[in-house]
Amino acid sequence: MKTELMLKLQSWVDGELPESEARQIAELVRTDKEAAALAEELRVTRSFLTGNEPEAKLPESHEFHWSKIQRAIERAEAEVPAREAVPWLEAVRRFLVPVSGVALVLFLTVVSIGVFDDRKPAPTGDDPMSQLVEEQTLSTHVDTTSYRTKAENMFVVYIVNKDGEGDEEDADADIDWEEEMDVPVIQ
Amino acid sequence: MSLLRFSGRGIRPLLFSICFLALGGVVAQAKELKLEVKLIWGTNDEKSPKKEHAPVDEATAAKLRKVFPWKYYFVEKKVTGVVPSRGSNQFKMSGKCSIEITELEGPRVEVKLIGKGEPVHKAIKEIRKGEWFVYTGDDAKREHGWLVIITALDEK
Repeated sequence: MKTELMLKLQSWVDGELPESEARQIAELVRTDKEAAALAEELRVTRSFLTGNEPEAKLPESHEFHWSKIQRAIERAEAEVPAREAVPWLEAVRRFLVPVSGVALVLFLTVVSIGVFDDRKPAPTGDDPMSQLVEEQTLSTHVDTTSYRTKAENMFVVYIVNKDGEGDEEDADADIDWEEEMDVPVIQ
Repeated sequence: MSLLRFSGRGIRPLLFSICFLALGGVVAQAKELKLEVKLIWGTNDEKSPKKEHAPVDEATAAKLRKVFPWKYYFVEKKVTGVVPSRGSNQFKMSGKCSIEITELEGPRVEVKLIGKGEPVHKAIKEIRKGEWFVYTGDDAKREHGWLVIITALDEK
């Protein structure tokens, strides 16, 4: 039997053929034993499949199942606009408030513990930088000489009054305490 | 998100406490400078012609003798004062002589000798506890001399 005829036979069993063709196939099944056997086999197979097809059943009603899905979709759609509703400035402000607070606290802490303070701990005296002295003689009437005595831990500025230097008469004069102490450097 | 949650109620008292302590540290750091300034008369005469003069203590005299030529030293005036942080103070030692001290940034101070209202000498240096900063001068024969001794009472 040709494949084309077998397919037509299957269609006839399924009731899918037009009436004229169905009559021809019915005549064929009635007269041809091979065709009749195939048709019978196809009918048995069809009845077997139809009667034993597994049926999937939902644990809940069909309407309730789809309404749950619908509610979930609606909820998800509602959340997205809520998140977008926060303006960017507000979001930045929310972030900056705690960050700036923490930064201020850190700054004050750092300043208070003197991380950037140029005040050094008490020098030992061996540090040459601690020995540096900037000096300036501001009067034209005096000469100054400075020196350091390490043994006595003393820095001395010796002031000589240029105008009175070598003034024997003045040197021999009786000491007038007020004058001496009031004008120790300048005449 | 955790940072935002961190800024909630629980952390606020802690932040306030840290701010308070930090501010306290900043205030405490602005330290004033305590100084002593002495005007001393040096002479080879055993007794000072000025009756109110008191001789310096023996330790001070011994130290001065190692540096200066005079045998005896008498205190003319002693002033203790405070130089505010980043500020100045003037110590009047006599009618026409004063010392102006300015607290500078860092460990240094500016010391200025002023006579008759005019600045005579200026020095900028570190001032350390135990060290003496001395201005000195004498007469032509070097029989008598004067000393202005500046000492820090506290470490800067």
